[in-house]
Amino acid sequence: MQKQLAELMTTLNKNQRLSKLAISEKGFLFDPETGQSFTLNYSGMQTLNHLKRGESLEDTAKHLADEFKIPHDTALNSIEAFLIQLGRYI
Amino acid sequence: METNGHWEPPYIQPHRFGAINKFGKRSVKDNVVTEVFGVSINDLVAQYGSPLFVLGEESLRANVRKIKSCFEQRYNLCAHGWSYKTNYISAVCRIMDQEGSLAEVVSNFEYEKARALGVPGARIIFNGPNKSQAILERAIAEGAFIQADHMEELRKIEAIAGKLAKKVKIGIRLNFDTGFTEPWSRFGFNLESGQAHEAVKYISRSQNIILAGLHSHIGTFVLEPRAYAQQVRIMCELMKELEGMENIEIQNLDIGGGFPSKNALQSIYLPPEQAVPKISEYADAICESLLEGCKYRKEMGKDLPRLIYESGRAMIDESEVLISSVVGTKRLPDGRRAAILDAGTNLMFTAFWYNHPVKLTREYFGIEEETVLYGPLCMNIDVVRNSIQLPALNAGDKLLIANVGAYNNTQWLQFIEYRPNVVLISESGESHVIRWAEDLSVMMAQDNVPPHLEAKGKQRKFGNSSLTVLRPAASL
Amino acid sequence: MSKNGKAWRNWNVAVTGMNASPESPGPGYAVARCLREDPEFNGRIIGIGYDVLDAGLYARNICDGGYLIPYPSAGKDALFERLKELHEAEDINVIIPCLDAEIQNFIALKDELEKLGIKMLIPSKEQFTMRAKDQLSKFCESVGVLAPESKTITNPSFFDDCESQGFEYPLMVKGIFYDAVLARNAFEAKAIMAKLVNSWGYPVLVQKLLCGDEFDLSAIGDGRRGMLGPVMMRKRALTEKGKAWAGVTVEEPGIAEVARKLIHGLSWSGPFEVEVMRTHDEKIYLIEINPRFPAWIYLSHAVNRNLPILLLKVLAGDEELDLAPAKTGTFFIRHAQELIVDLPAFESMLIDGGIASDVIGKHRTVSAV
Repeated sequence: MQKQLAELMTTLNKNQRLSKLAISEKGFLFDPETGQSFTLNYSGMQTLNHLKRGESLEDTAKHLADEFKIPHDTALNSIEAFLIQLGRYI
Repeated sequence: METNGHWEPPYIQPHRFGAINKFGKRSVKDNVVTEVFGVSINDLVAQYGSPLFVLGEESLRANVRKIKSCFEQRYNLCAHGWSYKTNYISAVCRIMDQEGSLAEVVSNFEYEKARALGVPGARIIFNGPNKSQAILERAIAEGAFIQADHMEELRKIEAIAGKLAKKVKIGIRLNFDTGFTEPWSRFGFNLESGQAHEAVKYISRSQNIILAGLHSHIGTFVLEPRAYAQQVRIMCELMKELEGMENIEIQNLDIGGGFPSKNALQSIYLPPEQAVPKISEYADAICESLLEGCKYRKEMGKDLPRLIYESGRAMIDESEVLISSVVGTKRLPDGRRAAILDAGTNLMFTAFWYNHPVKLTREYFGIEEETVLYGPLCMNIDVVRNSIQLPALNAGDKLLIANVGAYNNTQWLQFIEYRPNVVLISESGESHVIRWAEDLSVMMAQDNVPPHLEAKGKQRKFGNSSLTVLRPAASL
Repeated sequence: MSKNGKAWRNWNVAVTGMNASPESPGPGYAVARCLREDPEFNGRIIGIGYDVLDAGLYARNICDGGYLIPYPSAGKDALFERLKELHEAEDINVIIPCLDAEIQNFIALKDELEKLGIKMLIPSKEQFTMRAKDQLSKFCESVGVLAPESKTITNPSFFDDCESQGFEYPLMVKGIFYDAVLARNAFEAKAIMAKLVNSWGYPVLVQKLLCGDEFDLSAIGDGRRGMLGPVMMRKRALTEKGKAWAGVTVEEPGIAEVARKLIHGLSWSGPFEVEVMRTHDEKIYLIEINPRFPAWIYLSHAVNRNLPILLLKVLAGDEELDLAPAKTGTFFIRHAQELIVDLPAFESMLIDGGIASDVIGKHRTVSAV
């Protein structure tokens, strides 16, 4: 599982794929490579912005856990699931 | 972007073009209720559990009186037959009896129930395609008005009447094409093909039965008042024709029911406030057509026939609600929100064809999104609302599902779940259980385990469910 | 002068029906063009649509702002709440509804919108119902207008022996609200009926097919039995799906007379389109009355009878309607073109459900709120 996620992160970061994504402050996401657009919810937007800045999953989880006052594990679980969803679309 | 600090796991939803409109299915913002029929929803659930059906007596009586006066203002001689199958909870039938309605029953069970509730035979209209020999004997002896569905039934009624040496007045059910609704040609005698005339001939040759009523029912949730005008016109034409050639006088003209309630049919595009005509429009169409069709009687100095209508849904649908609780939430793979409720199509059979209104019972913050409401069954088709704009629900939240008075307390399924309490809020605001929640003893009462299948050391003691209020053990 | 002290020239007008797909454009886009191109009109135009792909919402040369509203099936209360939000943002004086399915919601809201200072020239519920498809032939008879023989049916077995009742194939099968499909035999007719019932419910209408030329007339009913500013058009070419591709203005007194009788009989209030068939023996049959401007209404501007502007004048109680004689021989050819939409505009429509006029418009005049 962890290996899978690490591979996924590598793929998403290849050719600065993540950093090229345009995310508006309202959660509108546009992928300039595919022309596909998306809506993110607030926590999805926060998560993706952290990841775009190159933060690790652990650090991103810490930010979310602090912001929403939820357990670190809950945040990390959700982020990992989100990453898998992201991998399907991006 | 709104969050209000409420945690929701991150998700991403791709846009699929074709029907994207943030406000498309917007619900009215003022959609929060905390009371139903004047009683706190939270208090009701605390006392009687969830899910919970709640019926408003004042609302029901007011609606019944409104509909009746609509007809009575337009035509002198009217009678309403309470369609038992719509909702035959005993308290409901007692209310309708007190309001002066006849009992309209369609099966052995319904006949027996009406009698058990103290309705005299003479105040019962007996319809339906399956009336047993025994129940016909009883109904005839007790003076119920039987409307026959087919030839075999006519022969049975004749034989019974002969045995009792009684002249029995009966009606016959007709079917015909009004040009407005899909004809229900499986019930009664068809007019166009001559079956109706054949039945009339049979009756007029009999020494024991007398044709005194014509009955038909053109459909259900009929949104076109002109359909009834046409139905009444056709029935009056037949009445005139029969009275001209045979020694017949029709006393009852029974037009059945089928008037809609303010529910939204899934197949109708317009919202009910526009699709559903007022009850007065139906009364206008029916009574005008009837007065026109009965002119010949007046000219002959004869009395007008009695108009019987068997409205069920329009009487009660809006006077009962279902309170249901959220037991879990999900984000579906296509991005839609979903909530699982403790009540589904097992309790709301009508959710298969209506989009029942759903109200919230507390204030929410945050964005409304398209949501699917699922019921508790392990069946994919158990969907309460396929698409509704709602805020993010949490487990434990209560929803109020409106307009559930018709057909749900009769067509509900006893599939894997106990059926819940049904509570009546009386006119003085008191709550009364009018149907106890089921428990294991109810569910197993009809089972019989032959000795060779008995479990070893079994205990014939059933545990109670977790509901707060159950039927007192003494009355079991 | 109107109540709020502004001449119609400065009114802010919201127009629905901004869908403009190449095959079947909504009338709203054309109505907005008529308003925009009138030299005297100086108000803001607010486009209203039902989908983020409704092109008119982004047409900056025509609409100053664009907004999404709830689908008609969401009901009048949800619509009213949304319209109030639009009114707060845009200070709307007039709404021109342009789609059949939404008109009933707007009829139901007429008084409430009036209280907010929003005017509409629309029919009453009764007028609207009298022209409904299944009532039309009866109404036509009462005002002495010919209509193709039709029958409402609920039983598909009608199609097996309809010839014996005088309905020969091919014939038209119509849904109770929308859609009309040609059926060439019983087999086709039953399949069409099933599909129509599935979409629009019972009953369906069967109509005898007429041969002749199709003409359309659009005008405004003044609500006092009068018809204002008729513009007539004959369709000259149809698309594969039977929609207007090209047409030309004409002056056919018989058609104007038919429309006048209908509008007089209905006391129609508001814009409308009358579709007629003129048979080879020069009889004129009414096919349909649509309760709104047609998609070809821009042609009215081209022949100096700008009907959307006329509608504003009627609402303003303007006595001088100065209508030019309708010019004949003006053609239209419908064409498709690409509208350029930048990402922020699209995002705004998708995420916020609208673009305020102070963002894209040229008149920064939002004073309300």
